[in-house]
Amino acid sequence: MSKHVVNPDLCTACTVCVAHCPVAEVVREYRGPKLSGPASERLRLLSPQDDASLDFCSNCKNCDISCPSGVPISTLNMKARAKMWEGKPEPQGRKMMAHGEQMGKLLARFPGAASIVNLGMGLGKSLGMMDMVGISSKAPLPSYASTTFYKQFKSFKQKSFDKKVVFYPGCTINFNQPEIGMDVVKVLQANGYEVLVDEEFVCCGSPLVVGGYLGEANENARKNTSLMNKWRAKGYPVITACTSCGLMLKQEYQELFHHEGMDKNAENIYDIMEFLSMLDDEDKLNTNFGQVNDTMLYHAPCHLRAQGMGLPALDVLSLIPGYRIENAAAGCCGMSGSYGMQANKREISLKVGEKLFNRIRQAGVKSVVSDCGTCRLQIGDGAKVQAIHPVQIVARAYAAK
Amino acid sequence: MEKVTAIVIGGGATGVGILRDLAMRGVDAMLIEQRDLAHGTSSRYHGLLHSGARYAVKDAEAGRECIEENTILRRIGRHCVEATEGFFVRTVEDPEDFEAKWVEGCKNCGISAVQISVEEALRLEPNLSPKIKAVYRVPDAAIDGFRMVWQNVASARRYGAKVRTYTEVVRINSTNGQVTGVTVRDYFTGQEYQIACDFVISAVGSWAGELAAKAGLQVGVQPDKGTLIAFNHRIASRVINRLHQASDGDIFVPHGSITILGTTSMAADKADDTEPSVEEVKKLLNIGRVLFENIDDYRILRAFTGTRPLYSADPNAKGRGASRGFVTLDHAHDGLKGFISIVGGKFTTYRLMAEKAVDMVCEYLGNKTPCRTAEEDIVEDPSEALMGRAKKFFPVHGASLAASRLGAEGLSRVVDKLEKQPSSRQLVCECENVTLAEVEEAAADPTSFTLSDVRRKTRMGMGTCQGAFCTYRTVGTMVANDLTNGQDSKELLKDFIEARWKGIRHVLWGNAIRETELTRGIYEGTLNVNGAMKK
Ligand SMILES: Cc1cc2nc3c(=O)[nH]c(=O)nc-3n(C[C@H](O)[C@H](O)[C@H](O)COP(=O)(O)OP(=O)(O)OC[C@H]3O[C@@H](n4cnc5c(N)ncnc54)[C@H](O)[C@@H]3O)c2cc1C
Ligand code: SF4
Ligand code: SF4
Repeated sequence: MSKHVVNPDLCTACTVCVAHCPVAEVVREYRGPKLSGPASERLRLLSPQDDASLDFCSNCKNCDISCPSGVPISTLNMKARAKMWEGKPEPQGRKMMAHGEQMGKLLARFPGAASIVNLGMGLGKSLGMMDMVGISSKAPLPSYASTTFYKQFKSFKQKSFDKKVVFYPGCTINFNQPEIGMDVVKVLQANGYEVLVDEEFVCCGSPLVVGGYLGEANENARKNTSLMNKWRAKGYPVITACTSCGLMLKQEYQELFHHEGMDKNAENIYDIMEFLSMLDDEDKLNTNFGQVNDTMLYHAPCHLRAQGMGLPALDVLSLIPGYRIENAAAGCCGMSGSYGMQANKREISLKVGEKLFNRIRQAGVKSVVSDCGTCRLQIGDGAKVQAIHPVQIVARAYAAK
Repeated sequence: MEKVTAIVIGGGATGVGILRDLAMRGVDAMLIEQRDLAHGTSSRYHGLLHSGARYAVKDAEAGRECIEENTILRRIGRHCVEATEGFFVRTVEDPEDFEAKWVEGCKNCGISAVQISVEEALRLEPNLSPKIKAVYRVPDAAIDGFRMVWQNVASARRYGAKVRTYTEVVRINSTNGQVTGVTVRDYFTGQEYQIACDFVISAVGSWAGELAAKAGLQVGVQPDKGTLIAFNHRIASRVINRLHQASDGDIFVPHGSITILGTTSMAADKADDTEPSVEEVKKLLNIGRVLFENIDDYRILRAFTGTRPLYSADPNAKGRGASRGFVTLDHAHDGLKGFISIVGGKFTTYRLMAEKAVDMVCEYLGNKTPCRTAEEDIVEDPSEALMGRAKKFFPVHGASLAASRLGAEGLSRVVDKLEKQPSSRQLVCECENVTLAEVEEAAADPTSFTLSDVRRKTRMGMGTCQGAFCTYRTVGTMVANDLTNGQDSKELLKDFIEARWKGIRHVLWGNAIRETELTRGIYEGTLNVNGAMKK
């Protein structure tokens, strides 16, 4: 990756990114990626000034995906925005959403606390307290699980294998959806892998970057990178099951920070579905699947598409007998991390997701598969269907045998 | 016949400086320029408002002149000067013994040169090579040639001066050794006519020899060619000089959104010999790499060339002016009363040059009004209220950029339009943040005849895309608003793209070639300007 991430020189002003930005499509006030990213970057180097337009960017990365010149547009936006917010009062909601890991850790220490908080958030929403801090009372918020993934993992009896991988669950799976993490473990076991975890790992930093806390994100990157270096030296691949974590660890670290080993680690980190699809390519995937008689729609998260790995979930799921799945191909769901949870972004977020919701309604399916936790929240809320992670289907197929 | 007291020939820095000074002293004056304002060297130069540090060792007088004018211009010319400050950097390649001489020289000239640690310098300018040895801060600044010329004219006009562009002086008329006027030719119609006057002041820079010949006189000016490279963004936010004996390619000047590296130096045949070469560009990059190791990663927008008006004094000539940097020649000594030439000098010293030339004219006129150009701001500050209104329409950086391009008066007209006409808020040039209203304002000015004239007044087309997107948009605007002066819209498109291409073709590699292919696709493919695709 380029040494000069702030170097806006790659942009030819072709405007392709503007045509692909889902936010610019629905909000006239947003000037779009070309202007807020590389074009303004030249002017920001001239005089740093506030640009209200930057607040609209959801960091969904559709601009980066579409740019034929490889400009890290969204990262330019995030850096400029962090700089703009520096030293200004931080809205409570932004602070809370950027620091979900702290909340999760706090709750994990007290038995029963999660359900109280979940109740509290529900209560807070209905009393309009969330709106007061800038979090939408209409948005679906992640609820906290009573037992974290790390705790559940400890009491799980694994078969021991020579081949080992390290699983990086990330905050969403550890605190909110541990059952997905457990399915990751089971699926890897079924393929002859022993799973290790490393509780030293911290939040990848994605929510921190979006919230403008680049310094803290850098600290997280430093910590995670040195741990990943260690596992890489042992020859153990690292597995993720959240596409935003994956993107952060593999790509955005290199665009934002400078730590030894980040580039090499990027080649050692795999999304779980990417990993399974690779096993299949090498004819090593355990395809001893049972029948799963269901029809579902697949939504490819933007942060998965930004990694340029194809759609491995579709490759793998199509091997399951009885199971039918089709790509929705309806763009961004609109949630983009915590973007759609912000009170002043909820409406934009729903407008962006409209295409996808319509597609789901028309397909008439009851369940939608997607690799990203916040996409699943949005789909559940926007299209009123069940939303699940692809590895959960794989686990079901193994269990059905 | 039209008649004025004084005619100034040449719409460069020197000419507009003289025009403003004459007008401020109440002399009825007209400026005549063969093409657009700043057609000559004043837009094909480095844009460094010298602190004088570059001359501190070799030419202390020039050094002192520079720091005085630099101080004045940073004050009165706030709207065209960017007070960036400058670094003098000693690299591994620069001899160490020069440093002490230079520090001493700066002291003698009254130029503040403060040493800072290499670490501090690298913190302030992170793209500099970490191998640098010593760094000093000096009060260098950047000055925008287009804007400065344009703003001086706006000020002169307020004092009643007249300006005629696209009008070439073809003859200096006289009877009995006294100037009576000039014969001029309209560039567009080819028509010749006369304008009467008592004084002709030649401020034609590198053309001084050619013009004097039109009056049957000789002025020893040798045009000297220098090439510069414009980079797409600000590599540094300060002027970066090499701390060594002044030489080729050793200065980087940040200019608005871009950076300019220069310059080369070689004798030129003609004043308008302004064709850069690939060899010169490569030479500049090789020298520049010592200061910025990553120079090859930075995108070059274009290369351009200007000619310096180097004056070689004829030792037998009389009436020489005071300074070694420039001279004011009173041709009464050569037998033609009322004809004055001002030659040599620098952009930095234009105001001083103008003052000396106008002193000479006023002496003849018995006009005792003192020169006030060092006191009065060239253009007024836009009011806070006006800036507040502007910020509603311009993208964030646009408001201050537009203010510095237009001055308070122009900005106020543009903002009025933006408020009343929502369609005029559209950005015609995204790279440099230029709105439709501003393009219309520039296009409607009496000195605008071509799209390139609008470009020079607005910076439209001078950013990243080098006209790829704004050209067709602007032509559309001009056609829709009857601003084409009867020119064919296809020709307008071609002229503009052609003018941009002139600077691009010597840097056709890397990102520039990708951009050019995109531009070619738009104009040759989609718009079919060359008619390659038959109906
Ligand atoms: C490469 C380069 C870099 C430079 N860098 C710097 C720098 O960083 N700082 C600095 O202070 N100085 C610099 N200089 C010097 C400076 O640019 C010039 O000294 C200055 O711009 C000259 O201005 P001028 O008005 O005298 O001439 P010009 O700007 O050349 O103006 C003369 C005008 O006269 C017009 N004209 C000619 N003949 C006729 C005619 N017959 N009828 C009507 N009009 C006519 C021309 O079209 C032209 O517009 C640089 C010069 C060069 C070449
Ligand atoms: S990251 Fe998404 S919202 Fe932001 S500019 Fe890019 S496409 Fe638009
Ligand atoms: S950022 Fe990329 S897609 Fe957007 S205008 Fe520039 S080159 Fe085109």
